[in-house]
Amino acid sequence: MSMPKGFKSTHGYATVSEIENGLDYRAIAQVMCDEGFQMNHATARNIFLRAMQKIAVSICQIYKLPLNNENISRIAKDPRFQCSIVDLLGEV
Amino acid sequence: MAGMQNFFGNVGKTKLLSREEEVMLAKRMEEGDESARAHMISANVRLAISIARKFQNQGCNLEDLIQEANIGLIKAVDRFDYKRGFKFSTYGYWWIKQSVMRYITSNSSVLRLPSYTRTTYYKIKEVREKYFEEFDCYPSNEEIADLLGVSVQVITSIQGCLGPTFSLNSSKYGAESGRTMSDVIEDESIEQAEEVIDRGRLLCAIRASLDKLTTREEKIIRLRFGISEDIENHDDFPITKEEINNILEQK
Repeated sequence: MSMPKGFKSTHGYATVSEIENGLDYRAIAQVMCDEGFQMNHATARNIFLRAMQKIAVSICQIYKLPLNNENISRIAKDPRFQCSIVDLLGEV
Repeated sequence: MAGMQNFFGNVGKTKLLSREEEVMLAKRMEEGDESARAHMISANVRLAISIARKFQNQGCNLEDLIQEANIGLIKAVDRFDYKRGFKFSTYGYWWIKQSVMRYITSNSSVLRLPSYTRTTYYKIKEVREKYFEEFDCYPSNEEIADLLGVSVQVITSIQGCLGPTFSLNSSKYGAESGRTMSDVIEDESIEQAEEVIDRGRLLCAIRASLDKLTTREEKIIRLRFGISEDIENHDDFPITKEEINNILEQK
């Protein structure tokens, strides 16, 4: 049986290096634990992506894009999408 | 035009000077003989005209160029030193050329450029032509910069400055249409109407989806993106800016 090929994102992975005051998942988990929300970095990531998916759904509805899980999940993870959301959140 | 023809007709009437004649006239000029000076000038007007003609396709009137060349010629005659042993044409050539080029620099374009910029432009042109003769293709800006020992940015900006200039009030689509250049040039500082509408719809959608987020999700998004409306309000944003800096410094 051959080894699994794994997954490689077409547009890379979202990082916080270019976001001012942005924290990575481990730092977020640490802050959230101090706030009384017990979680590790993976949970922080899952919660963040779930929130991104909620935003992605409303945007897909505007542009009449397919609302299936696969598409929504792909958009939510896309670093370009996350960067645009950072820009737009500044205006909300 | 008749004046010019008359001028050209008179130019040939004065004979060219031999070296000995030049020395003799220069000696008389030293003694203050004005007729010798006038003879020296009129005998070299053909040199001035030939130099002016070389520059006639650079956006200036030939008559003006000849005038400037004559001014250069007069300067050269006044400064000529026969004791150095050169022919007058050798010395005068540079004064005439300098005078003509300075005039072109000031008058050939709507934009006033420093003379060294124009000089670099001539060098660029020369390098391009020589390169084309040798390799049958034009050099890139990087190659020109390398050959002239200047930066690529200098080459690019000089080429941009010396491009054609248009009046914003000139008619773009013919005089009948009544539309000028300023009517059709895009104002890049103003956002397109479609973009504004699109952005508005996106913001509405994002606001609606933010209302659906749980407290945990909202806090995590704020931490991930470093978003806070009020950094002192810890209900919105759980940590202070100093705490963020501390966390980032620990990494």
